[in-house]
Amino acid sequence: MSGLQIDTITKSFGATEVLKGVSLEIGAGEFVSLVGPSGCGKSTLLRIVAGLEQATAGDIRIGGRSVAGIRAADRNLSMVFQSYALYPHLSVADNIAVPLRMRQLGGWHRLPLIGGLMPGARDRRAAIRQAVAAAADTLEISALLDRKPGQLSGGQRQRVALGRALVREPAAFLLDEPLSNLDAKLRVQTRAEIAQLHRRLGTTFVYVTHDQVEAMTMSDRIAVMMDGRILQCASPDIVYNDPDDIRVAEFIGSPKINLLPAESDGAGRLSVFGHGLPLHGPAPNQVLQVGIRPERLIVGDADAPIAGHVAHLENLGSELFAQVRIAGFNHPVTLRAEPEMAPALHLGARIGLGFDPAHLLVFDAGGKRVRRLSPQAAPRRKETV
Amino acid sequence: MTLADLPRSADTARPAATPATLQRRTAWVLTAPALILMAVILLIPVSVAVVLSFTDYSLGNAGFDWVGLANYEKLLTRSAYARMFAATFTYVLVVVPLSVGLGLGAALLINSLGRFRDVYKTIYFLPVMATLIAMAIAWEFMLHPTIGTVNRTLAAGCGTWVETAWPWLAMHCDEGMPLWLGDKRYAIWVICFVGIWQGFGFNMVLYLAGLTSVHRELYHAAEMDGVRSGWERFRLVTWPALGPTTVFVVTISCIRAFQLFDTIEAFYPIGAGPGKSAYVMMYAIFEKGVKQNLVGIGSAITVLFLVFVMMITLIQRWLVERKVHYA
Repeated sequence: MSGLQIDTITKSFGATEVLKGVSLEIGAGEFVSLVGPSGCGKSTLLRIVAGLEQATAGDIRIGGRSVAGIRAADRNLSMVFQSYALYPHLSVADNIAVPLRMRQLGGWHRLPLIGGLMPGARDRRAAIRQAVAAAADTLEISALLDRKPGQLSGGQRQRVALGRALVREPAAFLLDEPLSNLDAKLRVQTRAEIAQLHRRLGTTFVYVTHDQVEAMTMSDRIAVMMDGRILQCASPDIVYNDPDDIRVAEFIGSPKINLLPAESDGAGRLSVFGHGLPLHGPAPNQVLQVGIRPERLIVGDADAPIAGHVAHLENLGSELFAQVRIAGFNHPVTLRAEPEMAPALHLGARIGLGFDPAHLLVFDAGGKRVRRLSPQAAPRRKETV
Repeated sequence: MTLADLPRSADTARPAATPATLQRRTAWVLTAPALILMAVILLIPVSVAVVLSFTDYSLGNAGFDWVGLANYEKLLTRSAYARMFAATFTYVLVVVPLSVGLGLGAALLINSLGRFRDVYKTIYFLPVMATLIAMAIAWEFMLHPTIGTVNRTLAAGCGTWVETAWPWLAMHCDEGMPLWLGDKRYAIWVICFVGIWQGFGFNMVLYLAGLTSVHRELYHAAEMDGVRSGWERFRLVTWPALGPTTVFVVTISCIRAFQLFDTIEAFYPIGAGPGKSAYVMMYAIFEKGVKQNLVGIGSAITVLFLVFVMMITLIQRWLVERKVHYA
């Protein structure tokens, strides 16, 4: 178990730069997710850490030691691939045994027939069998050991791939979208199992996914990547509630955060849709955007300053999402409500929207978070605007 | 009449026909063209050959006599046919492994190339596309005992260090260069060489196609699992993935090797090489059945030939079903 340091890694394919100086420090035993939309460079970064790809510039350190020039096979990392990449001709047991056979048996020992006659072969093979059985036990796939990958379901293959990764004790586990080929139900179940596995093993996990739910539920920290950069790396709670960048706020959270146009007047006082807020921005006369999570919106009176019509309803049983159209604003505003609110939120109903100004996330025109807000006019007073 | 019309017309015309019988009848009608073609061009000729192999029939004769197993007895006892089997099996056992091995090697090398892939692919595939008769003439010139390039090149080595290092060359420097196509010690090996030269490009193309189906991520998985050498990578990933291709390539190569005829006919229009040393089965069928009009014995060789090809095909089916598909 070791920590990982990613130090200003850049990577170009021809003229396109896919990683633009990415730095990340991952502590020993930490579970860090790299999350971002497809094409943001997260998989490339993982493959550079693994050694399967060469960085154009920058350095990777594993346990404090630079691995520049060390090939993937010698970096002592385990990887689970999106396609699982199981050897189709080998049984489950043999698949899991491959990393041990390659590392613990010499070239002569691995030969069929002759290998078994080499001195010490018996003991080493017995040790490998034992390790495979233990790994299979951990993942509850002992009954499948004699089958071929072709005879397994997607979920079972995924477990075998995990088994192959954890059969030896690597410095860190690298997982490249391991759940993306599973159906929704199995994904939820396996998500919990991987998180438990991490707690049990206590090893460093680097987990690449485009699914923000996976990242939120499993990680100690989330690194949100976009356009070849890490925008923010923090705990799921902070990334969700206190994002640094408008793109982070938009990417994390489902349904998406509501973004409303705002501006500051000559005195620096913020207003949304022309309605003044008890907040002061850092500079006067700025064009800004404010974000508010759907669950922070409160249903108010129909004659409230910000009001609209319910355009679409999604009742999930435990909660209710309503899309509200506000006159003069192109995008619907999403609102989360308790299911008991359903009668009031029928289609076409006119409702007012309220919120606590403290829950507003303010971003400048460039998308950067504006944190220096002074609630001078109404300090911490809950107010329906 | 369209298929949609079928049930309705049956209901009105023949109320007795149930939908099930109707469906069965339609199925027979639809498969009939294929069945008839198969019978006419495949099953009937083969049956005729089997029947004729028990007779002494000659083309043009009004009738024939049954001779029982006499034709087959000849095949198994006469020395000419012993030579036929020797030549055929020598050719198959030499050409198949070497052309498959070289095909695989060339495919792996070409696959590892960045540039010039297509150039090499074309070069190795040229002999497959070329007319064999033209190629045979070119080889005849090259292998000509006195003016051929091969012997001239060998003769250039006489009197140099090559001669001392290579006893075979030293012997021929003294005795004169080999006649190649005219020498019964070398004839079948020269035929084998031409067969390999001509055939491995085809296997290479098949292997190149097989290599494209090897999952790239498997190589990365192998690297992560600690595979360091190219040989281990080949053993763990490439070779198993090429299993289905290999079975196909070996089968095709075997059948093509058994079918060898045109090279022999081009090199030796009369006879089948010095001392019948290149008297392969296909040539024997042609000589007995067509040239000498001994249809009975020709049919017997044909039947034996079909048995060999059938055995190879059955082995292939067995391998395909049991071993190389990992589903």
